[in-house]
Formats: sequence, structure tokens, C-alpha cells
Amino acid sequence: MNIGELLSQYGGKYAIALLTTWKLTAVSFALALALGVLITAMRVSPIRPLRIIAGLYVQIFRNIPGVALLIFLVYALPYLNLIFSYQTCVLTATTLIPASFCSEYLMSGMNMIDKGQIEAARALGMRFTHVLRKVVIPQALRNSVLPLTNLLVATMLTTSLASQVPMNPMELTGLVSHINTHSVGGIMAFVISAALYCATAILIGQIGSLIDRKVRIVR
Amino acid sequence: MNSEHKSGAETPVIELRTVNKYFGTHHVLKDVSLSVRQGEVVVIIGPSGSGKSTLCRTINRLETISSGEILIEGQPMPAEGKELAQVRSRIGMVFQSFNLFLHRTILDNVTMAPMDVLHIKRKDAEEEALKLLRQVGIEDQARKVPAQLSGGQQQRAAIARALAMHPKAILFDEPTSALDPEMIQEVLDVMTSLAKSGMTMVIVTHEMNFARNVADRIIFMNDGAILEEGAPDEFFAHPKTERAREFLASFRNEQKESEL
Ligand SMILES: Nc1ncnc2c1ncn2[C@@H]1O[C@H](COP(=O)(O)OP(=O)(O)OP(=O)(O)O)[C@@H](O)[C@H]1O
Ligand SMILES: [Mg+2]
Repeated sequence: MNIGELLSQYGGKYAIALLTTWKLTAVSFALALALGVLITAMRVSPIRPLRIIAGLYVQIFRNIPGVALLIFLVYALPYLNLIFSYQTCVLTATTLIPASFCSEYLMSGMNMIDKGQIEAARALGMRFTHVLRKVVIPQALRNSVLPLTNLLVATMLTTSLASQVPMNPMELTGLVSHINTHSVGGIMAFVISAALYCATAILIGQIGSLIDRKVRIVR
Repeated sequence: MNSEHKSGAETPVIELRTVNKYFGTHHVLKDVSLSVRQGEVVVIIGPSGSGKSTLCRTINRLETISSGEILIEGQPMPAEGKELAQVRSRIGMVFQSFNLFLHRTILDNVTMAPMDVLHIKRKDAEEEALKLLRQVGIEDQARKVPAQLSGGQQQRAAIARALAMHPKAILFDEPTSALDPEMIQEVLDVMTSLAKSGMTMVIVTHEMNFARNVADRIIFMNDGAILEEGAPDEFFAHPKTERAREFLASFRNEQKESEL
């Protein structure tokens, strides 16, 4: 099929697939961000077991392939009588892995904060959680906008994992497989999805640098 | 007991009893005992590395001590947790490098701890903050972030931030050492008027004229120990120890050189 035929037959489906990819990305990234902040707070907490658990978390999820995690969630967990919907399994994989990277970026964003500010906060009588919430995490986040923007793009690409399981509606990669099994979409079907991924990534990049310029901490 | 009188029986705001501090095997504070009365201004001077900052920092437990005792208003310094934070909130601290919260406005810098720690409502905290910023002469900078202020203005904001907690005492660790010369005086002026208003202050500084003017007592530290202490006139005119004489002489020379 050429691009015209593809679009006239599957245009609506591409639109839905793009929205689905966006939705999966947004949900995964929001959850990953929240989890990443939590893991990071644990990594710097004064309670040793929390630090160890959070450290292990990062080591594990930073270092396993997404597909392996998804296969584990979909095919291994049922043996333990844990059965989740495909969508839940996908979202779990696309959250747990980016969360570990998120924490890594926040840790380096945190290292940019002058220790003096933390001492000043403690000297004012602020307690650990307050110092973290009011001084450390906000600055770590602002220091990490660009790496987190890249993480958002990476998270979007990770949502293609959804193509490995039956999902309804399909996201961009899933749709390509679908088209190629039901008709001969050929390389063109893939190119359209790729273009949509790229366009989204460019948009994310632009918005990211805009935000970075706005919130970056002037020293 | 009548606490109105500045009698010897009055509980000191800050009291250190034979405090020792080691960094590893390095003995940085050696049997330091010190007591600071309500309203007293104590200036600590001494050569670099003599332990002045460390002494300052142990008072609100930014550094732990190896042995000895620190009492704040007669109560032993708690080791950690809520109680420690509570005591810290009553002892202000002003740092050499200002240490303002860079991501927040000057106003937020001043209101953050009162709102978080003392649970004061935003409106009241802001009102108080603006009053304090006026007091240190930077009310018009309230909506800016620290990076938009000069060093002298930042340090005055840091003083306002400390004052907002209504501390019993304020510790100053070389508050003017990071400033360009033309900004030193504006900060010293704020500190002088604080001292006059009766604030209890412990000040580490190399500003000898200022020390002479505001101090009730000078403490000379050398190699981790308090070598000499006394009234400023007495200390500057007749230092008792050879080490203090040398230190003061080196200062006079430096000053002469910079005047040339
Ligand atoms: N965190 C630390 N770890 C190890 N040693 C330290 C630490 N902080 C200070 N010291 C050492 O303790 C000694 C006292 O340091 P301190 O900073 O209290 O001196 P100071 O009198 O404030 O000097 P300066 O006038 O240079 O500020 C120095 O020998 C210093 O090297
Ligand atoms: Mg020092």
C-alpha cells in the first residue's frame, strides 16, 4: 500500500493510536515521576533500610530490559496467582523502569544543590521531610528538567512494549503490527508511526527547553 | 530568683561545658567552655583553622560533639528529631555564604520556616517578613530571587530570615567574609543595630573595628582552644598571650598594607 491508501484506510486508527501512545506516556511518566521522587527521598533518608531498598530498586529496574519485565508480569505472575490486565502490566513496566532513571537524574540534580542551603534549613528548625519537600526536591526537579525531558521521550518509546500484548485500543507500534498482519502495509505503515513518534519527541523537546529556561535556578 | 536582674544566677542562653570535638583523629575543639548571657554579644576571633566555625556549628548541632555538654537556656541539646529541630528554631544562624534558598523569592525565604515550623499563617508570616525586610533595608527586594540581589543584600535577607523565627540568640559565622568591601558596612550596620536592640549574638569575624565596637566580650581561639577572653578594650589594648599579640599584629600589618 502506498501512503495515500494507508491513510485513507487507517487514518482514524493512526489518530487513535497516537492518542493512546500519548495517554500511556503521560500516565507512565506521571507515575514514574512520583515514584522517582519517592525512591529518591528514600535514598537520602536517614533510615538505612529505606536507603538499601531504594538503592536496590534503582539497580534492578535500571538494568533489566523492558520486554523481560513485561514478559515476567504477563506470564510469570499468574503462576503466583497474581493476574493483572494487560494494560496494568504494560503500565507497570513503563512506570517502574523510568522511575529508576528518574531517581538517578534527581540524585544528580540534588548534588548540584549547595549543602549550605540544607544546613540553613536545618538551622531554622526545619525537619528532614520539610527540608526535602521545600528545599531539596523542588531544586532537584528544576535542576533536572532537561534529563527528565529526555526521560519523557524514552518513556514514550518504552510504551511500544504494549504492542507485545493484546491491547485495545492499540498504540502506534501495535497498530503497525496490526496493519502488517491484516493487510500489506509494508515499510510505509512503520514510517507513519515513526514520523508520529519523532514529531511527538520534537514537541516534547521544545516544551522541555522552554520549561527549563523558565524554572532553571539562577545562581 | 529575680530574672529581671542580670545576676550571676541567671540561666545563660548558651552554655558549653568542656566541649571536645574530633574530626577523625584531628582534635578541633579542646575543652571549650563558654557561657553567653541573655543580651550579650560575644565575638570570636582567631587564626584560620583555630576552630571558630566548628564551635559556632556545634552550638546548634550542625556538628556533633565528641564529649562535653551544650545547654540552650539551661536545657541539654537534644540529639536528634523533633526536639533538636525545636531547639534549633530558637537559635538563628547566619552563614558566610548566605545560604539563601535559591529557588524562592526573598519573601518566601523569610516566611518558609515560620510557616513550616511555627505554623504561622501565610498572611501573618508575610506581614512580619516585610517588616523585617524593612528593618534590614531591603523591603523593595522582597519579590526577587536571591541571585538578583547583591551580596550585601543577600546577607541582610539571611539575617531577616533568621530574625523571623524570633530566635533567643543568633550565631554569625564570618557574615562579611564573602562580601565585596563596599558591601561589608551595610551588613555590619544591621548587626550593630541588632546588638543595640539587645539580641544575644555570637559572632565569628575578622572585622576588628566592628568587634571592638559591638562586643561585650572577645574570645580569642587558637588551635581549638579558647586562649584568652575579655572585654574588647582590654583585649585589644593589652592582649595577655603572645599568640594573641601576634595575631593582632598580623592584622594591623594586613590593614596597613591594604591601605597603601
Ligand atoms: N568537616 C570537616 N572534616 C574534617 N576536618 C574539618 C572539617 N571541618 C573543619 N575541619 C578542620 O577543623 C579545623 C577547624 O576548622 P574551622 O573551620 O572550625 O576553623 P576556623 O577557625 O573557622 O577557620 P577559618 O578562619 O579559616 O574559617 C581545621 O583544621 C579544619 O581543617
Ligand atoms: Mg571558619
